[in-house]
Amino acid sequence: MLNYLLFIATIGGIYGVLALGLNLIWGGAGMVNLGLAGFFAVGAYVSALVTTTGHLPIPVGWLLALIAGSIAGLVVVLSTTRLREDYLAIVTLGFAEVVRLVAANEIWLTKGSDGISGIPGPGKAALGANFNVAYLLILIVVLAVVFVLMRRIDRSPYGRALRAIREDAQVAQVAGKPVLRFKAQAFALSAAIAGLAGALYGHFTSYIAPDLFLPLITVYIFLSVAAGGIGNPAGALVGAYLVMTLLESARFLVEFIPYVTAVQRAALKELLIAAALILVLRLMPRGLLPERIPRAPQPQTGGTT
Amino acid sequence: MMMFRIGRRAALLGSVAAVAAPSVVRAQADPIKIATLTPLTGAGGSYGPVMAKVAAAVVEEVNAAGGVLGRKVVLVSEDDQTNPDAGVRAARKLIDVDKVAAILGTWASSVTTAVAPLCWENKTFLCTVSGADSITLLPHQGYLVRTQPNTVLQVTRTGEFLVSLGAKKIWTFVPQTPFAKSSIEIMEGVAKKAGGTHGSLIYDDKKTTYRTEVDQMMRFAPDAILCAGYTPDTVVLLKDLYRAGYKGKIIGQAYAINQKLIEQVGQNEVVEGVYTYAPSVAEGSGALARVKKLSGLASPDPYTSQVYDHVNMVLMAMAIGKGATGTVIKDNIRKVTQGGGKAVDNAVDGLKAIAAGEKVDYAGASGPCDFDDKGDILDCKFLYEQIKAGKPVLVKIA
Repeated sequence: MLNYLLFIATIGGIYGVLALGLNLIWGGAGMVNLGLAGFFAVGAYVSALVTTTGHLPIPVGWLLALIAGSIAGLVVVLSTTRLREDYLAIVTLGFAEVVRLVAANEIWLTKGSDGISGIPGPGKAALGANFNVAYLLILIVVLAVVFVLMRRIDRSPYGRALRAIREDAQVAQVAGKPVLRFKAQAFALSAAIAGLAGALYGHFTSYIAPDLFLPLITVYIFLSVAAGGIGNPAGALVGAYLVMTLLESARFLVEFIPYVTAVQRAALKELLIAAALILVLRLMPRGLLPERIPRAPQPQTGGTT
Repeated sequence: MMMFRIGRRAALLGSVAAVAAPSVVRAQADPIKIATLTPLTGAGGSYGPVMAKVAAAVVEEVNAAGGVLGRKVVLVSEDDQTNPDAGVRAARKLIDVDKVAAILGTWASSVTTAVAPLCWENKTFLCTVSGADSITLLPHQGYLVRTQPNTVLQVTRTGEFLVSLGAKKIWTFVPQTPFAKSSIEIMEGVAKKAGGTHGSLIYDDKKTTYRTEVDQMMRFAPDAILCAGYTPDTVVLLKDLYRAGYKGKIIGQAYAINQKLIEQVGQNEVVEGVYTYAPSVAEGSGALARVKKLSGLASPDPYTSQVYDHVNMVLMAMAIGKGATGTVIKDNIRKVTQGGGKAVDNAVDGLKAIAAGEKVDYAGASGPCDFDDKGDILDCKFLYEQIKAGKPVLVKIA
């Protein structure tokens, strides 16, 4: 039981890292990135490859996952500078599919749909049964660092500028904000965080395959951010754990429903999760922890924006 | 902000309590627990439900006859959603919360590969129906067997069958799957050995048309094609082959070219003369008759037959080893499946024989169920059929 809870807490934490990254650009800059699963995959594959075939230490893998994620993010954002909203969403969705198809077909590199198994976990052999505890601790540290960074950005002048771009990019431009540079920076940082989440996932479960990176995971993370509160890092984190709790506790709830077959139970489980999320968004349209925009400090003479 | 923090903690605590509560309730009885982890939703959703149903029916029969080692058997059924992430989470729950001794019936190769490490690390036995060659090569320490013949066995037999029909130029159509590359290599080997030639194409199974793929194939002008996909993509492929006027032989897996496919295609001339092959369900065996009865299907698919075998083998292995853990199953499964003894085709008879101190040799609904050291089945018969006027007609079993 304990191992199961640790496992779910860890996977929930990885979803949390993803949600924090998504919140930065969706909640912050208003950019819809439906390609989250693609950046997640890039990080997972880079870290898995350099630590298995490349025999590099795991922290190097994580660092490279961060870098690869941000490069992928920059490529996507700079090739879509003219696209906003729905159009950007479609292109990013396409990017994720491209990553998945490359992973499935470039067998020499990624082992195709067999996937990469036996990805090392940090100290797995030495820790034995304590590996799950240790990994959760590592994850909590990562989560805390990312969370503090996101909240710092959220409350900084930089975060305010991003919000201005979200509300109206043209006005922000007129006010003298380098809109493109800000968007590219935020997108690259968000993609880097998604890449790191992918690396964390791979080294935890020891196996990755293209099937893992279907758009389903992107949907889960969007639900997390929407349910938790768009634009609030704490909301993203709470939302991620809320979705994970719903996914897993539905499993136990349906076991108490008598006279239904296994298939009906599986369908009921999905139904229950959907109903709970609809309920959250119906009762709290702005999420559990709505965005709170702190007042900007009064400008000193000469202005400090 | 302080208020929110408390809210978050309370929410977390509440959720932990919600997750933890049922296991406390359950911990009081002491039955033997096994689980099915089949796809109830997702791409495999048409196979998993009947697999879970048959497994549950076998457990019910065994319980009615007194259970195993005097203990009741409880079967937990989880859904892997045909997705490795969901599969791993479900397997974690089965292993850590339900504490099952064995997980049966994982279907998609990616799910099996993702779940297998959890199983061997936690000494839980895994029986799978996935065909990818790489699965039995994992360092599973004996905690894994599969009843599905691997790609080498399947494609070699199919190729030899096509050659026996006089095929000289063979083409392989296969979706991007763990068995794609090996299928092509093996078929090429078979074709070359018979003095023929071979061409191939790997396609994306989520496309809605295969006109360009079929055009590419027509240029090669094969006289026989292997369509190694699943039902939805094979429907599209067969229609496009018919439109393109292809007149040669076509063969595909019976699990893909089935009654559902014929209905979906809707026109009998499209599928007229198409051959199918399947790891033969042991036609005429007592075990298969029982699967037919339990599933309510006139021709159960191989996966259903295999999961029937999984349950029977695992329960008998526990009885012989006098224990209800994954390790006991690992150490004893080959004692019930091979090596001679009283022939049995179901666990109820087998458990009686074991209780009476007899040796048993299980022959199941999917075949003889004899395993090598890696967990692959040693041999199995293949059933070849040809579709005539919308109905499969037996060609041969070999």
